[in-house]
Amino acid sequence: MSNEVESVQVSDVTEVNQLSSSAAVESHAGSCDEEMALQLLNEAVRSMPNHVVKALLSIGVCSRCVLRIFGTEDRIYCHPLLSQSMLRSILEEVTGFKSEGNFQICSICLGILQFCYCDDKETMVKMESPNDMALTIAQLVKKEGHQIDGFSLEVSVPQLILENESSLLSGMKKRYESEPWFQERLLSKCVSVKDVLKFAITKPLETLLDVKSSSAGCFRIRLTYNHKRASDNSVERNQGFKRRKIGKENGLHNVNDEPVITNKVCSDYSTDETICVTRRSSNLLQDQEPSEHLTIPIDKVSEPCHLVYLCYRTHIYLCGRYLKYSRNVSQTRWIIDEERMGEASVEEIIGSNILPICQGDNYKFHAAGREDIDVRMLGSGRPFLLEIQNARQVPSEETVNEIESKINGLENKLVGVKNLKVVGSQGWTLMREGEAEKQKQYCALVWISRPLEDEDVQSISLLNDMKILQKTPIRVLHRRSPLEREKIIHWMKIERIAGSSQYFLLHLCTQAGTYIKEFVHGDLGRTQPSIGSILGCRAEIMRLDVTDVKMDSF
Amino acid sequence: MSDIMVDQTHKPEETAVPNNLLQHQRQQSVRENAEYEDEELHKLLVPDITLLPLTPPSAVESNFASYFAPDFMKSGNDQYVYRHANGLCVVGLASTHSAFKDKGGVSAVDFNVGKSDRSGMKVTGKRKKNAQHFESNTALCKVCTNDDLYIVRCCVKGSLLEVNERLIKQPELLKSSADREGYIAIIMPKPADWLKAKASLLSLEDFKKLRALC
Repeated sequence: MSNEVESVQVSDVTEVNQLSSSAAVESHAGSCDEEMALQLLNEAVRSMPNHVVKALLSIGVCSRCVLRIFGTEDRIYCHPLLSQSMLRSILEEVTGFKSEGNFQICSICLGILQFCYCDDKETMVKMESPNDMALTIAQLVKKEGHQIDGFSLEVSVPQLILENESSLLSGMKKRYESEPWFQERLLSKCVSVKDVLKFAITKPLETLLDVKSSSAGCFRIRLTYNHKRASDNSVERNQGFKRRKIGKENGLHNVNDEPVITNKVCSDYSTDETICVTRRSSNLLQDQEPSEHLTIPIDKVSEPCHLVYLCYRTHIYLCGRYLKYSRNVSQTRWIIDEERMGEASVEEIIGSNILPICQGDNYKFHAAGREDIDVRMLGSGRPFLLEIQNARQVPSEETVNEIESKINGLENKLVGVKNLKVVGSQGWTLMREGEAEKQKQYCALVWISRPLEDEDVQSISLLNDMKILQKTPIRVLHRRSPLEREKIIHWMKIERIAGSSQYFLLHLCTQAGTYIKEFVHGDLGRTQPSIGSILGCRAEIMRLDVTDVKMDSF
Repeated sequence: MSDIMVDQTHKPEETAVPNNLLQHQRQQSVRENAEYEDEELHKLLVPDITLLPLTPPSAVESNFASYFAPDFMKSGNDQYVYRHANGLCVVGLASTHSAFKDKGGVSAVDFNVGKSDRSGMKVTGKRKKNAQHFESNTALCKVCTNDDLYIVRCCVKGSLLEVNERLIKQPELLKSSADREGYIAIIMPKPADWLKAKASLLSLEDFKKLRALC
């Protein structure tokens, strides 16, 4: 029992190894011609115990499933040019099995390895060879207009298949355990449906798309098989297990998975499968008695699986720093009661100029902190990350420079961009690193209720790393927790303004998260100390600008 | 600087421009760039004085809408309600309140009224858990002067988010800046409750007329 279970897990993990390491496999299965393939297949079939093959065929197991259960060497049955009918006729010829004539959906793989499925228009499609299937997929990729330099193929199949397989294997074990061939051709060599499918179509896909496949590709081709019977029963069977939905018909268009998540799906899957498989098999063992015929309690199915093709590129990221020259532009799209606040947003200006060039589906804007709509972002700019979903094209360095010039050359001069470039997913860590710890520098236009004295300028400049306590400002108290936050004002410098005794510029550098406006006017005394309390008068803030967001990595 | 660069290229027989010279030029250009950027930045920061008002509006004036409740539940009990755009209301004593007419000013402020000490409650979280719901006539605190005792009420039905605890230790704040640091409490009314309360409040204009203030 444990052998069968193991084989399922092992084959998933070693799939990559098998694809790349075995030279023998390459030479036989993929690259030999049709005639050679047929010959090899003939030899392989002759070496299998006839009566077992006949028994399997008679209970509705398809040719490829028969061959994979025996773990036929070199996976010759995966050869891209070997069609259904060829495989079938060889099996029948060698074993003397006479089929009923009508096409029957395999009771184990539910038609997947017969390249038979229902497409999204609910039409049943039946392909003859792996090559035909690869062709359909390649056409989809080209239709979407993707520019790729590699791909990674992902397949997900209904759990029912594994259960069926397990029932079959345990049934076979019960029946044939005693026979001599059983020890030689241990059923642990059984290759999984997923592996067979992947192996069969990867090579032809590589040829058609003119790129190599790899397990860590940025471009994903995902085949998701679902079966009505499987999804009906699965709810009962999986109570108590945390299970991820493997793609329903509709929900696939807005894939916003990180690369990590898709891998997780596969591994979650295998653990679920193994547990369930053990359960089901153990029930069977008790029920079954040794009998003459091979009987498996699997119902034949009348419909194939429903297949959804999905191809997408994993997120690409562009990073840089933005400047905001306007006091009427919000950082992100801000809409209240269907009315937009401000005349534009940084997010939209940058995103809308980059998305069409990447030909992506969607973008997400992330910035290291934010500023109010009426605060300008000047100086070095604020680091940001733009995530592009399913880009059809990754922009080159030259293109990126053009985008930067374009944004900076926009007529209304609301926003500027610096150091724009494409980064990998490490962009995230770079951003988060700097956000909470770094210091920010500001310049505030302050008015006080009495004339500014030289002592004021002096005393302010002497305050270094001053601690302040800020109660949650009233203007955000409706949506933030009422807390008292300690913040540090690292340094301050007053710059007098020619022609005014009560207005001056206050340059200051503070800890991230400090509310500057409240530090100036005191927020009804809820920020202590404040500029007003330090200077012993009323202070008001007229304007605020961010002049520096210190982050080295950007 | 650029002249020197041009000169060098006209002398092909010289093997190479000395490295330190080039490096110095590069460093200088980086510095000059940085200085230029700083200058540009500075130009953006300095305002045009001629466009600035002599006395700008205060933070309260800019961010809140002021309402007044004259003689709230008792003659002379003039209170204000400053409402922020986000719906929060700051409640306090108007400058015309009787308490300020007493000689000697305010001696004490006590939040222990009604059934509980208002200064003792702790409101937590974004959802403002544990905030007590009060009616508009619920008492917030007692204001004591040498001569008399006044009860300050909510004026607006809603959840009490915060009381100004500073008044306990510094009751003089009430007299010196009743409209700023001397506020009494912050209340969060539901939108419907605000509309009801607003109906019986006066705008700043009307209040000034009523009290014949300039």
